[in-house]
Amino acid sequence: MSLAADPGTDAVEAMVPSVDVAPETQPVGWRHRHLLDVDGLSTSDLDLVMRTTDAMREVLTRPIAKVPALRGRQVTILFYEASTRTRVSFEVAAKNLSADVVNIAAASSSVTKGESLVDTVRTVEALGAHMLVIRHSVSGAPYLAAETFGGSVLNGGDGWHAHPTQALLDLYTMRERLGGSVAGRKIVILGDLLHSRVARSNIWTLTAAGADLWLCGPATLVRGFEAWAGRGAAAGRRFHVTTDVDEALRDADVVMALRIQRERMASGLLPSMREYAARYGLTRTRLAGAKPGALVMHPGPMNEGVEIAADVAAGAQSVITDQVTNGVAVRMALLYLLAGTHGSGGAGASST
Amino acid sequence: MTDLEISRAWIVDPASEREGPGEIVVRGGVLEGLTWLTGSGADGVTADGVVIAPGFIDLHTHLREPGNEDAETIATGLAAAAHGGFTTVCAMPNTTPAVDERSVLDANRVAAILTGSPVQLLSVGAVTVGRAGTQLAALGELADGGVVGFSDDGSPVRSATILRSALAYAGALGLPIVDHPEDGTLTEGAEANDGFVATVLGLHGWPVAAEASAVGRDLAVLADVIRDEPGARLHLTHLSTAEALDLVRRAKAAGLPVTCDVTPHHLALTDEWVAGARRWAWDASGDPWADDARVAPPYATATRVNPPLRSPQDAAACLAALLDGTADAIATDHAPHTEVDKAVEYGLAANGISGIETALGLVLAAVDAGRLPLRTAIGALTVGPASVIGAAATVSAGFEIGAAADLVVFDRSDRWTVSPRSLLSKGKNSPLVGMDLPGRVLVTFAGGRLAYEAPEA
Repeated sequence: MSLAADPGTDAVEAMVPSVDVAPETQPVGWRHRHLLDVDGLSTSDLDLVMRTTDAMREVLTRPIAKVPALRGRQVTILFYEASTRTRVSFEVAAKNLSADVVNIAAASSSVTKGESLVDTVRTVEALGAHMLVIRHSVSGAPYLAAETFGGSVLNGGDGWHAHPTQALLDLYTMRERLGGSVAGRKIVILGDLLHSRVARSNIWTLTAAGADLWLCGPATLVRGFEAWAGRGAAAGRRFHVTTDVDEALRDADVVMALRIQRERMASGLLPSMREYAARYGLTRTRLAGAKPGALVMHPGPMNEGVEIAADVAAGAQSVITDQVTNGVAVRMALLYLLAGTHGSGGAGASST
Repeated sequence: MTDLEISRAWIVDPASEREGPGEIVVRGGVLEGLTWLTGSGADGVTADGVVIAPGFIDLHTHLREPGNEDAETIATGLAAAAHGGFTTVCAMPNTTPAVDERSVLDANRVAAILTGSPVQLLSVGAVTVGRAGTQLAALGELADGGVVGFSDDGSPVRSATILRSALAYAGALGLPIVDHPEDGTLTEGAEANDGFVATVLGLHGWPVAAEASAVGRDLAVLADVIRDEPGARLHLTHLSTAEALDLVRRAKAAGLPVTCDVTPHHLALTDEWVAGARRWAWDASGDPWADDARVAPPYATATRVNPPLRSPQDAAACLAALLDGTADAIATDHAPHTEVDKAVEYGLAANGISGIETALGLVLAAVDAGRLPLRTAIGALTVGPASVIGAAATVSAGFEIGAAADLVVFDRSDRWTVSPRSLLSKGKNSPLVGMDLPGRVLVTFAGGRLAYEAPEA
């Protein structure tokens, strides 16, 4: 995952917008064959994703929001976990690029008959998949898929580990609303950090982008992150961890609430949903401690009245529906960029 | 081959606490002579080349037979042992069926004889029937059959009451209880050492406290038992944390009859390996992201083991425990698994490292790095384990002139590459695959017979 060979930003910029044609016909400067995590993305990688997403946003405004860039490519969406928004978002993104889409929900496949992930991936490839989008409840599963799969693997969320496209759409949404950059902006991620792949991926992208990142939640749900914050500080990727919600929200530019799951009560991590809502729920009163006009975000699906009050979720400061729209554009951008790394006769063939 | 003559090698004899240039003569399988060289005869012989040591003893080996012969058989396990320099192995009882009664024990012994391997197979019996943790196994009958101790390894002895009974009953038989210390209420679903790496990789943390609290419980029960049964003995296997080793250190100082072992992988590897780093524990920072130390993909299931690979500080504590005698032995916890059980998602993969062939290499890596004196390392593979099981079995841990030769010859200057082909074990589940290790084993003699000879290069 060496980043040393990243091309200069200027060289890349001119080449990005031609998303109407197949990606391998132009050297766009993307070098990662798979998108398994965001820990290996450099700031110029992030910029390239953001600029390509801009181009995709333009496509989405056209009367016919479709380009032929991935015509003839098969994108298989293999989800081992229930999901509606992420799965549909990938499907729409792939179709907008004219790819053929195959959807496999684990519950209806031979997975329930005990077929291994490796066998499933081999089968998917034999059926003609060029790109594989995978969601799995076990952290690291996309790496196993990438070991076997001949094309590109896109991580659609694995266990507690990573949700790269979510973090990138979050970054895109924040940049767009904050005047093009998150550098120096106070961004708070509030809730169940421990079990959150969204939070982990956001730590990498937001610290890379220079944000003043704060993680906040009950002590049982921020466990382990203080050690990460300490390490990150050493590497110049500082962030803060606190259990004090008022301190976290004070003068914040962005507040992102995370879903609280009922299982957390059964496993003894939280007393009750009611107590969580009272102490950590993102309410209008709490939000008043943030900067006026601070952005409210949520990766969904929401438990309104628990981690976020309904009026805050639907309020003027909420950009939650923007996140959904931008999600399609970001996923189009990533499918496009990854397709360029293994197309026939493409210029950007590469490893990692 | 029953004859062997090696002149001008470095001989390490932990029994006499002596090492230096020497030569040995084996004829007809009998160690006829061991001569220490002095003066000009010793010129140029250093500890960095060919070394001769007594055959190694492994306190903790999983042979998988009966029941899981796809992963290992007694034949392949003993061949792997000989390749690793081991001439005695103590097979753990977590087979199917478990070694909880005499017929299983006897069948294993017959199977070992039928392999033709000269490597000595010793058996650890189960503590409880079916290793289920409720009813004591036939400890007396198993003792009569020659087991060297009792363990429910794979699972800890779950109930403190059963542990108390087992320590007393086995103590009266002169045998130790070998416990795998793990508080299962802290490790449900655990995947990797609870710490920075697990947090970043989103893996369920495996806390240090799970081992330390189990060790604390075991020691408290032991202290209680020895008031009535002074023969009671506890051996704690594969300790992996500074906290647990400290508890043992203090218990030993207080005179409790406790011994323990550490594994080669816990002293040489760390949880950085789960993230894809491949550097030794003594070179590790604990943050392979910051140092750009990740050279392999993360989540390699070969790194998944119970207890998990720990922090660099814990690995250093394992070495320190060998240096100050807190740890009595190095045991491999050789745990072969099939591809089917390992080529799966990290969280679903079987725990265990196929380690009996790489143990010497890992220990020598520590020696090469100046972290462990050669004599201490060899002692922890020979006299150390012999002292743990010595009361129960005739194990040779030194050079006995006139007795059947039981020794290993290896070359510290010769490195070998770990690969699925080079491992004789059926278990190819080693995180070291693809790496070079120091100390190629040239010859292993067990019980007077050639057990392993390196193929001609």
